[in-house]
Formats: sequence, structure tokens, C-alpha cells
Amino acid sequence: MQPLPHTIDAAQRRRRVRRSALLFGLIAAGFYVGFIVMMLVRATR
Amino acid sequence: MAEHHAHAAAHDDHDHKPHGWRRWVYATNHKDIGTMYLIFAGTMFFIGGGMAMIIRAELFRPGLQFVDPQFFNSMTTMHALVMIFGAVMPAWTGLANWMIPMQVGAPDMALPRLNNFSFWILPFAFTLLLSSLFVPGGAPAGGWTMYPPLVLQTGASFPMLIFAVHMMGASSILGAINVVVTIMNMRAPGMTLLRMPLFVWSWLITAYLLIAVMPVLAGAVTMLLTDHFFGTTFFTAAGGGDPVMFQHIFWFFGHPEVYILILPAFGIISEIIPTFSRKPLFGYEAMVYAVASIAFLSFIVWAHHMFTVGMPLAAQLFFMLSTMLIAIPTGVKVFNWTATMWKGSLSFEPPMLFALAFLFLFTIGGFSGLMLAMVPADYQYQDTYFVVAHFHYVLVPGAVFAIMAGVYYWLPKWTGRMYDQTLATWHFWLSTIFVNVLFFPQHFLGLAGMPRRIPDYAVQFTDWNMVSSIGGFGFGLSQLLFPYIIVQCVRSGKPVGNRAWEGAHGLEWELPSPPPYHSWTTPPSAAVIARGAAH
Repeated sequence: MQPLPHTIDAAQRRRRVRRSALLFGLIAAGFYVGFIVMMLVRATR
Repeated sequence: MAEHHAHAAAHDDHDHKPHGWRRWVYATNHKDIGTMYLIFAGTMFFIGGGMAMIIRAELFRPGLQFVDPQFFNSMTTMHALVMIFGAVMPAWTGLANWMIPMQVGAPDMALPRLNNFSFWILPFAFTLLLSSLFVPGGAPAGGWTMYPPLVLQTGASFPMLIFAVHMMGASSILGAINVVVTIMNMRAPGMTLLRMPLFVWSWLITAYLLIAVMPVLAGAVTMLLTDHFFGTTFFTAAGGGDPVMFQHIFWFFGHPEVYILILPAFGIISEIIPTFSRKPLFGYEAMVYAVASIAFLSFIVWAHHMFTVGMPLAAQLFFMLSTMLIAIPTGVKVFNWTATMWKGSLSFEPPMLFALAFLFLFTIGGFSGLMLAMVPADYQYQDTYFVVAHFHYVLVPGAVFAIMAGVYYWLPKWTGRMYDQTLATWHFWLSTIFVNVLFFPQHFLGLAGMPRRIPDYAVQFTDWNMVSSIGGFGFGLSQLLFPYIIVQCVRSGKPVGNRAWEGAHGLEWELPSPPPYHSWTTPPSAAVIARGAAH
């Protein structure tokens, strides 16, 4: 068996996991707000 | 210190897990959460199926038999919502939870507590939705598409519908984020992207679709909510709003949603056919690019669902041609599955039977989809039973059969036991015969002009409706075999080895059956990964 890369860079992996989860969460929130704003902008024209 | 390590090693050697209700309520283990998703999906499949039985009983003959029209419309609406958001999507998430960590060589999902949260939202969402059957005015009855202005006439169940849809969306988005983050960050060293099993690839692409489109649905229903309760007029023509705009937004979500329901099926079929053909998958990379192309195209075809609302000719042409383009990557997939079987050493165990039925019957759904993509023809087919036949061919012998194929394929791995294959073969044949008796006549009804979403019809449609209803009852009853086979397998199936199917490749088959509570605590070696990635 190889050594345990799962644990060697565990802290770095945790950071990457948190960062990418946050990024995708923000993308999802952006789509949600974006579509509502798009409708509002369209309505004010 | 050494003592501490020895203790830790001994601790890892056995399946240390919480017991009793805490194991499930506080679950963070991907297998436990996967099991809960699958049980939830199965429960919803039977609830949604019960609603389908009510629909088919009412349509057995013309006239009103059992239910009033309002309740009938509630049944069509709730059947769709329950089956799409409660049965098929959670079933895929359950399979993803079980298989993705094992297939990429990870110990668990990247965000286990988020995983717990995204599952436990679902029972609350569906309790809310189903309890709307008991409020004044009854359950939502305006169709799962929730088109305004009709949906704004819903009674007390309207906010329940909107809140339930928000919760389902939140659950899906959180689940999808977990899948993407797991695949991107938790793969074992050496498990490169182009070594990943097709099921993982198809789920990765599905998760991107979910993150992109579920918020759009949430935005649309939020605007419906404010139109209903807070005096806005996003979709109310009287206040300057545009009901057709809702349809555009809804289908911008809705068409990718169709692929969210079917792409993981492509992944599963791509796992099963090579196993039972005893050959590597033909054209692995082409399969990956085909899934990605289908996902991309799904964003630019939405208006084919609404040709008849009226749109410029150029728009009709664009959406017609872009829709037809999807046939190309789909054709690549069908060709590659067939080429995988070509000169293979085929055997026909239950997962392979379901995969083959998928191949034939999903293709029928694809062909009727091409017919619906043609604008002039669509004007004829729009809102008829032809559309009902089309999407049920895609979703039942498509998505549902692929889920069943996946369960029959991996159940020996999950439980360490083999199920009764004779009974499962009976399940297959009964399902396949009755699903065609149920849905094929609906093509004829649609072409003859029978409209969808009606509780009564002209007498000329009687015969095929009777046939369809008999098929429906047969299909529904034959599904009772499925939980029976699973329970019997768990209780008294014959033990199997690591590789339950001799032709199977992939990291999951390198683990014991059943796999330990924490699967890849030590990442698989390069040799094991190379052996697993046999494509």
C-alpha cells in the first residue's frame, strides 16, 4: 500500500474543499439572485 | 504514543459506527446516507405510483368514475412532482452517495455533514407537499410546470407548494456541490479524470447542471410567491408582467432537468454493458465528450417545450435545429454501447436485461423526441398523449429502469449477498412487457388527438385507454417484487465475494462485499487503480 496522502495534506485538502464548496454555493446563489434581478431590470424598462 | 496508534489501528479494523436511531439521524457516512436516499426514493416511487394508479383507474373508461376533475388534476400534478423530485432525483443521489467515494478511492464524501443536511431536508419537503392534499382547496392542480396565471389560482396549498419546491431545490444544490467537491478534491492519487468510471463522469456533469439550473427554478417560484402574496406582477399580464416569460425561465431549468434525470443513467448503463459483455467500454473518451455535449446543448433548447406560445420563425428554427443536434451525441452513446456488445461474451443477468431494455426503449423515447422537435409537427402533438408517451418512455424504461439496473448491479456489493436472480428476471420481464402495454398505446391516443391532463375523454379513445390502464396496473403490481427481492437479499441472500460479477471492473469491486463502514481509509495503489480502470 502507498503512504496516506489522504492525511498528509489533510489541512490543504480541507481548505480546497471549503473553498470550492463556497465557490459553487456562491455561483448557485448568483444564479438565483441574477434571474430575479434580470426580471426586475426587464420590468423597469 | 505507540499505544495510541495501536489503539487507533484496532479502532479502524472494525466497523465502528453509531447504533440505533442516532446512526440515521446524525448520519455522516456516505453509505448510510446513500441507503436513506434510496429508501426515501423507493417510498416516493410507490406513493407517486399510487397516484398514477388513480389516474389510470379514472381513465380506464370514458366518463367520471372515481374522482372529481379537480382531484384528478391534483393527481397528475403531484404524481409528476413526487416522481421527479422525490423518486428519480433522490435515487440518483443515493446511488452517487454509495458509489462515488468507492469508485474514486475516497474514504467518504467531502462534506459529510452537508450531506446529512441535504438528505434530511427532503422528508420535510415532501411531508409539506403531500400534506397539501388535506388543506382546503386540495393539492396543487395546475401541473408540475406551475404556469401562471393558472397556478396563482391555487388555494391554501400554494405556499406549501412553493416552499416545498424551494426545499427540494436547496437539497439538490447542496447534494450537487458535495458531489462536485468530492470528485474534484477526493480522488485517490493516480485516479485521473480520464480514468474515472463513466458513472462518476456522468454524475459530475449532472452536478454542474444542478448547480446551474436549480437556482433558476427557485428564482422563478420565488417570483410566483411574490406575485401571489406581495403584489408584484412579474408574470401577471394585468400589471404589465409576462406569463410567457415564466415559461421561458421554467424551461431554462426544465430542459436541463430532463438531462439531470437521465445522464446518471447513461453512466450506469456504461458500467453494466461492459461487465456483462466482458469487454472494455467502446470509445470511453467519446462517451465522456458525448455526455458533456448533451449537457451543453441542454441549455440552448428550452423553447422546444413552448413552440405553440408563438415566437419568431428564426427562434423556432434555432430551437428546432439545436434540439435535433442532441441526437448526435446521443447516437454516439447508443452506437458505443452496441459496439461494446459486438462480439462480446454476453450473459443476461438482471442488470444486463434492464440495461438492454433501457437501450431499446430509451431510444424509442428519443425518436419520439425528435418528432416533437419538428415545429410544424409539434403544433399537432402539443398537449396530447403523444407527449405523455414520449417523456414516459424516456423516464420510466429510461431513468427508472437504469436505477433498477444499478440497484441489481451493486446490491451484491452493498449487502455482500446475491439476490434471487430468477425472481429479478421475472421482475424484469413483467416490467418490460407492462411498461410497453402502458405507454406505447399512448402514442396512438396522442396522434388521434387525445389531450393530456383530462379526467374524461371522447369514446373513440376508449380501447387504447383500457389497454394502457391494464398495462399500468400490471406495471404497478410487478414493482412490488422489487422491494421483496431486496429485503430477501438482505436477509437471506447467498454470500458473494469482492467481485460479485466476474466481468466487473472498477475500484468498488476491489473492496470487500459488503464494504467496510469506512471504505478507502488507505488510498488504493496505482496497480489497483490501473486494474480498475479497464477501459
